[in-house]
Amino acid sequence: MIGATKKAIPMKTFTAFIAAAAALAGAASAQTVAIMDGTVHTVSGDVIENGDVIIRDGRIAQVGADLSAPAGASVIDASGKVVTPGLFAPVSAIGLVEIGAVDDANDASPAQGPMESFPLGAALNAIDAYNPSSALIPVNRAAGVTRALMAPSVGPTIFAGRAAVIDLSGRPNSVTRAEAAQYVAMGERGAERNGGTRMGAWAVFREYLDEARSYHANPNDYVRRPHDGRFAISDLKALGPVINGEQPLIVSVNSANDIRTLIRLKNTYRLNVIIHGATEGWRVADEIDAANISVITDGLYNLPGEFEDIDATLKNAARLNEAGVTITFSEGAHNIRLIRQHAGNAVAEGLPYEAALKAITLNPATMYGLGGQLGSLEAGKIADVVIWDGDPLEVTTKPEAVFINGRPQDLNNRQKMLMERYRDLERGDLPFAYRGGE
Amino acid sequence: MRNTGWTALAVLMLSACAQQTGTESEEAAEAAASEDTEIAAKTAEKDEDDKDKADGAVHPPLDPYPSTYEAYPGETVLLTGATVLTGAGDRIDNGAVLIADGKISAVGAAGDVEAPEGARTVNASGKWITPGIIDIHSHLGDYPSPSNSTTSDGNEVVNPNTAYVWAEHSVWPQDAGFTRALAGGITTLQVLPGSANLFGGRSAILKNVPSRSVQGMKFPGAPYGLKMACGENPKRVYGERGGPQTRMGNFAGYRAAWIEAAAYKKKWEDYWADYDEWVENDDDDKGDAPDAPTRDLKLETLAGALNGDIAVNMHCYRADEMVQVLDMAKEFGYKVRTFHHAIEAYKIADYLAENGVCAAMWADWWGFKLEAFDTVGENVALVHAQPGGCAIVHSDDALGIQRLNQEAAKAMADGRRIGIDIEPEDAIAWITANPAEAMGVSDETGTLETGKMADVVVWNGNPFSVYAKAEKVYIDGALMYDRSDPKRSPRVDFELGLHDNSFTGGAGQ
Repeated sequence: MIGATKKAIPMKTFTAFIAAAAALAGAASAQTVAIMDGTVHTVSGDVIENGDVIIRDGRIAQVGADLSAPAGASVIDASGKVVTPGLFAPVSAIGLVEIGAVDDANDASPAQGPMESFPLGAALNAIDAYNPSSALIPVNRAAGVTRALMAPSVGPTIFAGRAAVIDLSGRPNSVTRAEAAQYVAMGERGAERNGGTRMGAWAVFREYLDEARSYHANPNDYVRRPHDGRFAISDLKALGPVINGEQPLIVSVNSANDIRTLIRLKNTYRLNVIIHGATEGWRVADEIDAANISVITDGLYNLPGEFEDIDATLKNAARLNEAGVTITFSEGAHNIRLIRQHAGNAVAEGLPYEAALKAITLNPATMYGLGGQLGSLEAGKIADVVIWDGDPLEVTTKPEAVFINGRPQDLNNRQKMLMERYRDLERGDLPFAYRGGE
Repeated sequence: MRNTGWTALAVLMLSACAQQTGTESEEAAEAAASEDTEIAAKTAEKDEDDKDKADGAVHPPLDPYPSTYEAYPGETVLLTGATVLTGAGDRIDNGAVLIADGKISAVGAAGDVEAPEGARTVNASGKWITPGIIDIHSHLGDYPSPSNSTTSDGNEVVNPNTAYVWAEHSVWPQDAGFTRALAGGITTLQVLPGSANLFGGRSAILKNVPSRSVQGMKFPGAPYGLKMACGENPKRVYGERGGPQTRMGNFAGYRAAWIEAAAYKKKWEDYWADYDEWVENDDDDKGDAPDAPTRDLKLETLAGALNGDIAVNMHCYRADEMVQVLDMAKEFGYKVRTFHHAIEAYKIADYLAENGVCAAMWADWWGFKLEAFDTVGENVALVHAQPGGCAIVHSDDALGIQRLNQEAAKAMADGRRIGIDIEPEDAIAWITANPAEAMGVSDETGTLETGKMADVVVWNGNPFSVYAKAEKVYIDGALMYDRSDPKRSPRVDFELGLHDNSFTGGAGQ
């Protein structure tokens, strides 16, 4: 039976092209690519059956039906395939963590080291620790994820630090937008860092914002005044774009009452708020919508896991969407590729299909102010494109080609290499350590 | 022969006791194959018999926390027109399943299975029917929702060897996770102690039926399992608490325990031999009956594992460690039934198959620990593809248990992409027949075969799809979950009266 694994996969023209294209992935100049006759989900507009997508100079040049491939373009026959924008993971630790439980391979979570007295939070900047060579990047790229928000995880203070949007090309210059958002943990995670109560957490939240306002009103004056040392200047400095309402503030909250308090403070401080969590969001969906807050949620969560999740339900995403809230789905780091499983499950629970696809492509781009550049297949946008071998929300589907910034991506990765090494366990002339790895 | 670890251990002792008295030996064997209550009754009779002769032998209790589960009433139902995956390798398009008296009464092509008089016929065309889903690795009840320090009852982190604890004694039947799992098609699950310790304790095999007590959930007659753990967890937890601090320390800990357990086992066997000799002795001055050894809960469980009555479930990520564990099993003469979290099973899939060990795996979890770094999506498929390979998809998670079908789907798809021929009728076994076999309950559940418990899931479509939902879940023929009917959708006590979440579609949906 193991012999079956040796059976060669029929090499179609299509895959042959991809292999050739992948070899060019590192080339300095992006080429012109014509993806022809696929089912094209533009996300921003209609689904185009037998649709074509023309990529030129890293951008989407044209999207439509019955287009002509430009002269000299690499042509991909995508008939029977599905074409979508690349997936966008809205919050994750990818780029900051290699192994969760290994301190020297985890730069995302200060809480895991001897950092209890570590003084800074908001000042942390994800790009300082960004490792574009992380093995997590090719694994998730091969599964169709092309962009992610790389965010620090919360440490001793409620503010985790500044997150960056990256692309998953693995290239050194793969930061799309540094300081794209600030992250703060409230709810139970905020309470446990502030005397064990939500009152304490919100009081400290207000203090940070008030102190930041005070600092930014007159920095020179502020630093000359005496302080009790509770607020690091660099944290207050980093909160400048947050108190201006320029930088999105991702707030981790779950319970309906925490969400209501957040909405009140958002209005008081005129913040640009994105909620992360919102397990009970559906109970206050209209209020969230009225406050113009986007929600990053978990499409698979339905347990009263903590007292702030009592009303968690798989229908959360569908109900939030129904109320008009912009939603998206998140996963930790290693498996941000699973956001499409979240989306698929949400569809099974009533979220319209196109809304689910939008939730993992255009919506996160919009949340971070990149909706004009990324997230949909429209002429002029950055060419992050995925060609799937089936329905992209289906767990059995995989990408056949991935483009980031118009460049075809290498879909090989550590997991594939390990599999190739061990798929045939016949003893060879040399140990397994001599196999594969190319 | 089906028996609990406890009963089996005791039966072994009974057999030893009754070696020279053939009728009693037969009686013991017969008892072992029957209901626990019968065993207890027969043992009591036997005790009475012995009393006539002397003071009576000391029996460890056969089954001190016996199952009180009884199937709930169900109709005679013919589900017809569906795509049926039997779990035994067959797919029947336009098939039918007849449920009667809580059992699978017939399975076949739609036209070939007739509804007996009084049966209700359900048109299930467009639906898929599978055996009830089985999760071999769960902590529901032991790590329930809500999760906090007052409910965290899954890891007895006080000693590297806590073989003396029984997971069932931590199970909170009011864990809402059970109901969510039910909505995902789970009908049977093994609740294991956590993996902090070299020997974590005994598992509990449960039917996923709400109950006031864990006894009301215990799978009647299911054997016990023993949870063990390799690698990082024990050395991390005990590294600065007296050890083990290293993987070699882990092994020294296992081996010392097996040596102690072997001695304990022999002590009891010797006792029974002496006792039998004493019973046979007709001398008037033969003296008092021999003293029974003192019971030791830890060693009782380990002795049960040594004699094969308790299935060894070993959490082990790395291939090299699994190979070492199998040598250790040979050294002490026990069998490892299943490696759990076997991230690197694909590296030794041939060796696992040769040794008859199952590998329980995730579809794609990875990277949370170094020993979990080498995940490949094809792991399950590569284990499956070995002649004699035994692949199981498990959850270890209160969310994952709700969609084991999707996890199996991912693993199937990844296997097919590298040319391994896996059909839904094969892959369904990873979450039904194979875990049933590894847990020792395959005579009762795990496949849709005549005479087995009617543990059945009706899906609204192909279960190897993200869009598939369990619509109806039957356990022993009783309709325990119906996605469309609030009256067939359990809610645990904890959920009542909290906030305003009235019925929202079933079992916390």
